[in-house]
Amino acid sequence: MHGIALALAAGFTVAYLARRWRFPAIPFYIVIGIVLGVTGFNVIHESETAAYLAHMGLLFLLFTMGLHLRPRDVLARKGSFVRAGAVDLLVNFAIGLGAAFLLGLPVYEAVVIAAAFFISSSAMALSSLIDNRKLGFRESETVVWLMVFEDIVLVVFIMFLAVTQESPVRVITATLVFIALCYGLVHLLKDPIGRLLAREDEIPLLFVVTAVLLSAYLSTLAGVPDSLTVIALGSALSLVSQDAPAAIARPFREVFMVLFFVFFGVSVHFAGALSPVLLLGLGALALLSKLCSGILIGRLVHKSSLSGVEIWSDTAARGEFSIALAAIYGSAMVSSTVAALVVITAFAGGFTGMHSARIRGRLRAMTRKRDGKEVR
Amino acid sequence: MDFHHLSLPGIGTKYELETDDGDIISVVYMQNGKVQMYTCSGARTGCSSAELTAMEARRLGNVLTGAIIEAEQEGVEIAFSALADLRISVHTYIIGKSLSGKSIGEMDIRSKTGVTVLAVSREGENTVNPRPSFIFEAGDAVVVIGEADQIKRFEKDILG
Repeated sequence: MHGIALALAAGFTVAYLARRWRFPAIPFYIVIGIVLGVTGFNVIHESETAAYLAHMGLLFLLFTMGLHLRPRDVLARKGSFVRAGAVDLLVNFAIGLGAAFLLGLPVYEAVVIAAAFFISSSAMALSSLIDNRKLGFRESETVVWLMVFEDIVLVVFIMFLAVTQESPVRVITATLVFIALCYGLVHLLKDPIGRLLAREDEIPLLFVVTAVLLSAYLSTLAGVPDSLTVIALGSALSLVSQDAPAAIARPFREVFMVLFFVFFGVSVHFAGALSPVLLLGLGALALLSKLCSGILIGRLVHKSSLSGVEIWSDTAARGEFSIALAAIYGSAMVSSTVAALVVITAFAGGFTGMHSARIRGRLRAMTRKRDGKEVR
Repeated sequence: MDFHHLSLPGIGTKYELETDDGDIISVVYMQNGKVQMYTCSGARTGCSSAELTAMEARRLGNVLTGAIIEAEQEGVEIAFSALADLRISVHTYIIGKSLSGKSIGEMDIRSKTGVTVLAVSREGENTVNPRPSFIFEAGDAVVVIGEADQIKRFEKDILG
């Protein structure tokens, strides 16, 4: 237990300091895990209890993500949502896949790296919009819905990575049956569930926690990835209420995700990993790939490259979902690569998010000077 | 004037108003209960922002609605068209340490000043029409109603 207490104490300290500096805490969690784990001072070790709690954090994170995938809202989005998301996917996934193949990785591991390239950190993107007061900007809506699109694609990635390990037909069928059951049950019991979640005693809390853990348990019985079933559960429950389940899941997610990140850092082995120069290069490439997709999306949706730079500034950071995929499906080499990718892009993304106005101002001035006219 | 709202998954709901002059005012109700407000000039020379608590947002809303109420510090004065001589003031105050632990009945507020305590807000919980046995705590927000001179007496004799 001392490892968990130490991890939480270190997590609390960096979270406090990060809040004070208005900087994302996720890269710090991973760094303290690396520093205190086998790669560093070797004072925190992996344990079954820590792994279970970290997994709980992941389940609650994915459940919350599912709550944001309300079918009605997603279906109501029109053209630009899909077009922007497709550009984001094609550019970043292709660049990530190309880089992984150049490094000589097999297809399965290359897909995990490419997914890490593509999926931005929703937590850091949304925090950047709120903390840096950007919600009034027209680009903020594009950023938020890009995160929703990435979440939907994440479901596809999880399914793809799962079917390569087991029988595709069985996994896909079981997953679809589970999703249909979730939606069917919630639809049938909409009113009782609504009344249950509106209660002011401990019942809503027990209901949500039980539902998450029960769906994870049932998925292991059915041989379906529990990451998928909790997303489906969240999305189905969003038909009744988004706020109440989200408020209940939040404390579990916040505390256990700290353990998830710290113990991911603890588990990272740099023996046999890529050289620091290659890791830095990969991190720089990941930043550039999001810049390319950001500019294309900016021109596509807002008819402005500078809007694209603004979108990039909030989406450059990779985080929780890249780490989650690496933790579930990555080898030791992939995990160390993704850890480095997340730390580099999250630190850089923290700065771009905070200083995007300055970056845009500089770019505008440079372009004016070069062209003798103003860019849109 | 164009007014619309949109859902921002993971953040909350954004309401956006474009004025006739082309200025844009955005109000974002966030899931953490806070409200962010942005005003962007039509000339696009930049945006200003402010983050408000739910109570601050409501106060601002009261000021913006204007109409029949005249804002004065933490209160409003209401005039009714059918009762020309009647002007009623509704005021809010924050209870200080000196009144903490005292009940409404013990202070004999209505007999001494003429004002009525309409409601008390304590850590987000509201008590409407509190009984005389209701005991104040420091930090309580109270809403009182009365005529202007009664309100002044309440400020002088009760709040001190």
